[in-house]
Order: sequence, then structure tokens, then C-alpha cells
Amino acid sequence: MSASIQSAKIGDSVIRKEDHRLVTGAGCFSDDVNLPGQAYSVMLRSPHAHAKVLGIHTKNALKCPGVISILTGQDLITDKIKAIPHRPFSPHPADIMLTNSDGSEMFMAPHYPLVVDKVRHVGEAVAMVIAESLAAAKDGAEAIEVDYEILPSVTDTVSAAKKNAPRVFDTAPSNVCLDAETGDREKTEQAFAKAAKIVSFTTWIPRITGVPLEPRAAVGEYTDNGRHYTLHAGTSGAWRTQMDIAIMLGVHEDHVRVITKDVGGHFGTRGMLYGEFLLVVWAARRVGRPVKWTCDRQEAFVSDYQARDLAVEAELALDEKGHFLAIRGSNISNAGGHTTNFSPLRKGVEIMSTIYRMPAAFFRARGVVSNTAPTRPYRSSGRPEVIYVMERLIDLAALACGIDRVTLRRINLLQNHEMPYTNPFGMVFSDGDYHQSMEKALRMADWDGFEQRRQEAKTRGQCRGIGIANYVDTASGVPRERAEMTLRADGTVEVIIGTVSTGQGHETSFAQLVTDWLGVPFDQVKILTGDTQFVKFGGGTHSGRGLRLASIVIHSACQTIIKKGKRIAALLLKCEPSVIEFKEGVFYQKGELGQESQGGPVSLTQVAEASMGLTDLPEELQGPLRAIGDETVTVAEFPYGCQVVEVEIDPQLGSLKIINYTAVDDVGRAVNPAIIHGQVHGGIAQGVGQALMEQAHYDPVSGQLLSGSFMDYAMPRASDFPFFNAQYIEIPSKTHPLGMRPAGEGGTAPALGVMINAICHALQDYGVKHVEMPATSERIWQAIQQAQATKTS
Amino acid sequence: MHDFLYQRPTQLPEASQWAKEHVDYKLLAGGMSLIPSLKMRLSQPAGLIDLSAIDALKGVRIEGDELIIKAMTPHAEVAIDKNVRQGIRALCELAAGIGDPLVRNRGTIGGSLANADPAACYPSAVLALNATIKTNQREIAADQFFLGLFETALHPGEIITEIRFPKPKAAAYWKFRQPASRFSLVGVFVAQTNTGVRVAITGAADTVFRHTEAEQRLNVQFHPSALKGLFMSEKNMNSDIHASAQYRAHCIDVITERAVAMALNLPPQKES
Repeated sequence: MSASIQSAKIGDSVIRKEDHRLVTGAGCFSDDVNLPGQAYSVMLRSPHAHAKVLGIHTKNALKCPGVISILTGQDLITDKIKAIPHRPFSPHPADIMLTNSDGSEMFMAPHYPLVVDKVRHVGEAVAMVIAESLAAAKDGAEAIEVDYEILPSVTDTVSAAKKNAPRVFDTAPSNVCLDAETGDREKTEQAFAKAAKIVSFTTWIPRITGVPLEPRAAVGEYTDNGRHYTLHAGTSGAWRTQMDIAIMLGVHEDHVRVITKDVGGHFGTRGMLYGEFLLVVWAARRVGRPVKWTCDRQEAFVSDYQARDLAVEAELALDEKGHFLAIRGSNISNAGGHTTNFSPLRKGVEIMSTIYRMPAAFFRARGVVSNTAPTRPYRSSGRPEVIYVMERLIDLAALACGIDRVTLRRINLLQNHEMPYTNPFGMVFSDGDYHQSMEKALRMADWDGFEQRRQEAKTRGQCRGIGIANYVDTASGVPRERAEMTLRADGTVEVIIGTVSTGQGHETSFAQLVTDWLGVPFDQVKILTGDTQFVKFGGGTHSGRGLRLASIVIHSACQTIIKKGKRIAALLLKCEPSVIEFKEGVFYQKGELGQESQGGPVSLTQVAEASMGLTDLPEELQGPLRAIGDETVTVAEFPYGCQVVEVEIDPQLGSLKIINYTAVDDVGRAVNPAIIHGQVHGGIAQGVGQALMEQAHYDPVSGQLLSGSFMDYAMPRASDFPFFNAQYIEIPSKTHPLGMRPAGEGGTAPALGVMINAICHALQDYGVKHVEMPATSERIWQAIQQAQATKTS
Repeated sequence: MHDFLYQRPTQLPEASQWAKEHVDYKLLAGGMSLIPSLKMRLSQPAGLIDLSAIDALKGVRIEGDELIIKAMTPHAEVAIDKNVRQGIRALCELAAGIGDPLVRNRGTIGGSLANADPAACYPSAVLALNATIKTNQREIAADQFFLGLFETALHPGEIITEIRFPKPKAAAYWKFRQPASRFSLVGVFVAQTNTGVRVAITGAADTVFRHTEAEQRLNVQFHPSALKGLFMSEKNMNSDIHASAQYRAHCIDVITERAVAMALNLPPQKES
């Protein structure tokens, strides 16, 4: 095979190392783990959106053949298990803080893996049945009788924020847990007072769910000897899961081991500990044998963390020439049935003005709870929502002011010389050539030739539209990452890193870094991850931090290896370390590379051998050649780019076809172009899925989830898309030591805005101003009907 | 799933005997609906009689002016069968658009008809083409077969053996997909048969039904223009998270015209 001769340095589209294993069924996903003597568990879940649990009767269920034990919230309390340690915001100094504007503490309430007082959403786990087989556990669950006192429920975001709404937490004064203000109210009011034009926009970014290819599963183990718990489960990072499980069990971290192997999708909704992960290790201790739990797809729809769900009212003020003066409004984020996470609210509102020059801004930001599944950050958390709002405001302003929408963007898009730019919420955008990415996208999409294409479509009875959206993505997240690198005497380089791949191809791209920096063959680099037995720290996969932070710590470890290697090489070559140079895996004396000099060059492997074999080396150079890269990166990265989309709408049915999809992303420095394109394509599909079809649809009266299976939860398919016209640019980041910018979220960030802009443009002749998401065929058709009715009345 | 007994006869009489003697058993064809419902514990039959080993229930043939598809023929075979392509091309296209390759390789025409899912494709073809459903007991005309939501004229234990389609003069199926399941949100099968034009609608109501007003107009003139000004009432239309009754009714108007145009091989119509 050519794989071994293929260049595998930074910038090469190396075929992914992991793919052969994964596509031939040789991967090890959570449900592939089976332990001798394991018992099986199922969760009895609430059929009600909001109800007091008056009693759980397990007598008949315990009589079912094969049922071993039934655990409830009361057992958790008896065993002093603590609530899930949710962190409403991940701490990063680059993000702004949101606090209650009246100075009070934000409301947080404990979230237990099994209900202890009342159920707060359909699908919340009420009891755990452990049995000899899955079928026996299901029989047991069917035989449990629960007395519920059904309470009125609220699922809708705006309704939940109202004073008279059904109260999700009896101890809270309302469902509003966080009520913050950000920006400068006075300055903003002044700007609005002198505005030539004000456009307003009210919208709701629907709730969706992550739908990873691999549903969750876990196996818990407990050994009396040493009181040791082991969790086998797909997580976004083993180390953080270990910490959370230890907190909940009230034990030292050394008593908990977490093993994560292959993970089939994460997208943010897998980013926090799930209650079931604690339950399997706790249950293993209770029943004295390993306990397994596998989530089925329907169960995933009601019990996975969900996402988005933001209600926005926004106004944009412009002067007579189209310059933006100020933006103001209100964002309400729906956290669902528990106070799990308010990060998307913050990650959105802090860049409400995205990458446009905005002299003033003021927003109210509220986080509410409701009788829906809890929400979490989801791919590009918070940003696709506000980018959509900003890009819609611009198109609406263009119409209102009679200014071309691209011109309006050119006028207001930040210029290079304005960087670093402090936005009106206090965020500092380090660098970026926003005009370059936008102009490139316009050229790639042949924006100027659109009119001709529109006319041609018209002859076929189709309404063609084109839309544009710029984006910026604030990559922050957990700031610390760690890599431990060992050079073995056989030339193998082992890299232990805390960040787990959930499909991104770390085994390949991380290995490319090492191949490039140490000159070792790609096949000899082994990335080890996902087991707290050897992983000492790792922040997990989120917020564009995988390669961004891994590259920094791996680079730092490589530098240490080279430095140590130079000293050993100097001893071997009998010269001073200062005259040793390192290139492409070999150490040589300055000016002697390629010449037949005595004793040189010395390969990295020879150096590694020497470190193991030579006893006359200084003590600190003896033993395996090892280095640790451990860095805390407190600057955020700001990847950015532009998308242009062309659609055709069949006005008789409202159905839509995407004709062209153009994407430009500045990745700073590309490590593996094929992986980058894969990330962009997948990101686009997730964004377009939300814009056109996905929705976790709760019935407003009963609180039932109506989209509880793939029969009703619409997922985008490959056949829904054209071939993507995606290119990246490489303007090295000024704040990343290696110039890299994250590429995992850029596909999604502008996709909502660009899709709705293209749809509204296609329908402009009908007088349609806006179509809400998901822009289904019916919504599009209704928009045409309403616009025509308004015209004729 | 709950426990159940399982039989896999190789001869039709044997299957009939089992079905007759065990009314609490269910017949298993391709299992594309039944197996998921067993897995979700929504269905609890005492046993299953798997028809997949009965070779006599598989295959396609032409007899005079009739195309005959045996009950256990999977969609994937109908989609590429030469006889079907020559006889009723629209049936090939319909079969090729059901589900995904896995469903098409397992799912059968007989299973689809016996299940009578309100959004399934085949019922519209059977009704519009005025087909006859032959069972191990009798022959049932399409007009008498579909009774309601998942409800047919089949007696307990009655086994569909084949479907006899009279060849039409022209026919077309136009499917507008529900975005999640990709079943028909509205599917229209139009056929110009020897006994007149027949239009069958699936996906829109609790069962497949004939669009008699459209048929009357198309019997006068088999052309899309004959349908101008005809509006389907939203009464009896389904309304759910994917489409309102109003929109489904509207889709029927548009799609019926398109299906007629397709049957006539007319170029796509411009919006007036």
C-alpha cells in the first residue's frame, strides 16, 4: 500500500488511520463492552411532563423472573449520592460573565440521576431495573406502578419566562433562573434615538437534539477489594467524567477509573456527565456484579441532552448611509427541566453583533427552565443562533433602507486595521481578514451571475434565491490540556492526551503533528487516550479545542524531546549541544548535514536507544526519552468565514432544493485538509438540518415529545445536498502559537442564517419578509399565501 | 420483545393450516413494520408464521392483460423486474422509492398491503390500478380491501398470495415525502384504466382513498388542465407536526395535476 510512503506532514490529506478499524466493525463503542457476569439495566421513564411522584410500587416487578434489584431516587438519597455537578458556564477568561442584574445569585437546583421529588420532563428516569437479561429488566419495568400527581406543564420558552407559568422548581420565585444585562444601555438608547432606520426581528431558534450515530451506553464495575469503581462509556473526555463520578459518589478520584474507547458522535450534547453513567457504577456496587445499560433510539430522543431553543427579540439601528449604530434586544434560553447549562446563552449574547462594527449594544439575557429535556451546548453553541439573527437583521435592513445587502455588509464588516477589535459586549476579536473570506465566497459562488440563473429558473417555474452569511466562532472552553510523549527505543512515539476523539480523526491529525515536528514515520506515532489509568488531565472535546490545544501541548512536548535529544546526540558525537541541529528526525553538527562527517548524523531512534542503553549519560537523560506538554491557554481563538447558498423553491408546493452551497473558512493553518472538509461538510449538514427540518417538537398542552423517533424527527440526508463548494484560507492566527484556528464548528455557525436568507430572497417577489425555522415546505408555502393575501387586501 | 413462538413453513397449505389453527399468531412477511413493533413491545403475538421460506409466494409474471406480483416479492425486485417495467412502469418507480435499500430488500408488496399503513405507497397503486388481491381463501377487489387505519378486509389468518394488476393505458405515481420518515406526506397514483380513470391518494387521510371528483373530470379529458379550479376539501385530512390538513389538501390538488402530466409524459408545468 502507498499509505506508508504517502507524506504525512502538516498540510497533507492523509487517509485517516482509524477509518479501516471503524468501517470494518473493529471499533470498540460503548455497547461493544461486555463483562463476565454482567447484569442488564433499563430505566423506567416518566410518561408525564410534570408530575409529583407520590409512590413507586415495585413489589410485583421484583417478582418478575430474572429481576435482581430496582433502584429509585430514595436509594440515591439513602446512599448519600450527590447531584450531577453541572457547571452552568465553562470558565474561560475570554468570555463575558452573566450575572443577575439585581445582584442576586442565579438559581441552581440539584439534578439527580433518578427523580427524588417530581418529574420535570417526559423521559426523566424514575427507577432503574437491574436484571439477568435485558428482556427481564424490561418485564420488570413494565410491572412497576408509579403514583403520579400530574401538574400543569410548560414547554415553550417565552411562556416559561412568564410570571404565571407553571413552576418547574417550587423553591424558585419563577422559571427565570438567570436574568442578566449586558452592554451599555445608555449609549445604546442614545444611538437608537438618532437612528435614521430601525429594523426589528422577533424569532425563535427551535430546539433540536444531537442525534449521534451511536446512542449512549455504559457498563459499570465495582470491586470490593480497594473499593474501586470502573465506568466503560463513550464520553467527551475520560478525566472530567472521572472527576464528576467521584464527586457524586463522594470518593477520591483514585477510586474511579473511566475508560472511553471509540465514540460515535458528540456534538456537545454528549459533553456533560449523564446520570445513567453514575447509576451503572453505583448499581454495580449495590448488586455486586457489573451492570450494563444501553440507550435505545427512542429513549435517546427523550433523555439525551437537547440544544438551541432560544427566543430572540432584536433591533438594529442604522444611520442614513447604512452604518450600524447599535443593536439591542432580549434573548431567552431554555435550559429545560434542570439547571444544567446556560453557556449557549452567554456564548451567543456576547457576540450578538458578530463580526460587524457596532458602536453600541445592550441586551437582556435570560435563562429559563421548562418541562422539557435539559439542554446543553451543541455544535458552535450559541453562535449559530445569534449569527442567524444578525444576518437576518442585515437582510431586513437592506430591504428597509434600499441598500444592496452585500454593500451593507461591506460597509459594516470589520476591516483588518481595526483588529484587535473590542466588541460592545467586551469581547476582543484578535485578528482576521473578514473581507477576504467574504469576497472569496462571493467569487466562488458567482454572486454576480446570479440574475441570469434566476431568470433561467423562472422559465421552469422555480423561484431561485441566493443568500449570504458571515460568521465568527469564539473558541474557548476548558483552557488546560496536557500531552505526555514517550520515544521508545524501537522508534515508536507514544502520545498520551486527554482529549478524546468522538469522530474527528485525532489518531491521524495528531500523529501528523508529531511526524512533522519529530520526523518520525506516521505509522510509528500512537495516540493514547480515553483511560484515566494513564490520562492525568484533559479538558475534553468541545469549543474547537481538540487540535487547537493538542497542537500546543504536543508541540511543547516535541520541543522538550528535541532539546533532550540534542544533549544526548552531543555526547554521542562528542561535541557541544549548542552545535547540534535537528531536522527531519536526525541530529547533526551544524553545517554537516549530507556530508560524510565522522560520527554523524544521529537519528532520533539512535538517541532513544542511547537513552535506554548508555549508563554514562547524566541521570536526567537516562531512561525512556519522555516529555510533558501541559499548558493553560487563556486566549480564545476566533475562526471566521462566509457561506453563500443558492436555492430553488417550487412555489406551488413550497418545496426547496439546495442548488449550490459555498463555504469559506479561515483555518489559520491546515493540518489535514480532508478532515477539515469533512468537518465543514458535516457541520453544514447539521446547520441546514436545523434550518430546514429538525425540531424536538413538544406538545404545548401535554408536554409530550411528538418527535420521539426517526419517523417524526427529521434528519438531513446526503441526497438533500449538492456537492459542497468548500474551500479554506490560511491566514495564521496571531494568538495561536502555531497559527491554527479551529475548523469544527464553522460549517454550522453561519448555516442557519444563510439558509433562511436564501429562502427569503427566493420569495422576495411575493413580498415574503421572513420564514421561521424549520423552514418546511408548508411554512414556505404558507408564507407565500400570507404575503399574497396581504398584497391583495 | 416479548417471547413468541416461531414457525417457518415452506408450503402455502402448511402456512394456511397454522394460520387457521392459531388465530393469536401473526403472519410475518418482510417484517419492516412488525419487527420494530415487536422490539418496542407494542405488539405481543403468541407466535409468528414467517412466510419468507414459501417460494410459491415469490415472483412476477404476465398473464394476458394482467401483471401478477406474488405477495412475498420484495420491493427491490419489483423495482427492477422487466415484466413490471414493460407492463406498469409506474410500479417500478413506486417500488424503487420505498424506504431505503434495506427496506426494499426485505419489505414485500403483500406485507405492505396487509399492514395498510396510511402513508404506504403500494395501497395507492393497488387502488388506482383497480387491482385484485388474491388470498388463500378468495379474491378481493381493491375497492373493497382498504377499510381504515391499518384495517383491511382480510380475515384473521387469511394470507395474501398475489396481486393481479390489469395493465393501464397510462399511469404515474407522484410522491411528496414527509421530511422525517420519507414516507408519503401526500402520494398520488393516477391510472387511466380500461374502466376509466382512477386516482388514489395515500398519506393524506387515515387510509388510502379515491379522489372521485378528479376522476370524473379526468374521465372527460385526461389532461392536467381538466383539474383547474378543483380543490380538495381539508375535511378528513390528517393534521400533524409535519403538515396541516389545509396543506395536505392543497398538495393533493398540485400533485394530482403533476401525476397526470407525468402519466402523459408532459414536460414540467410552469406556474401560471
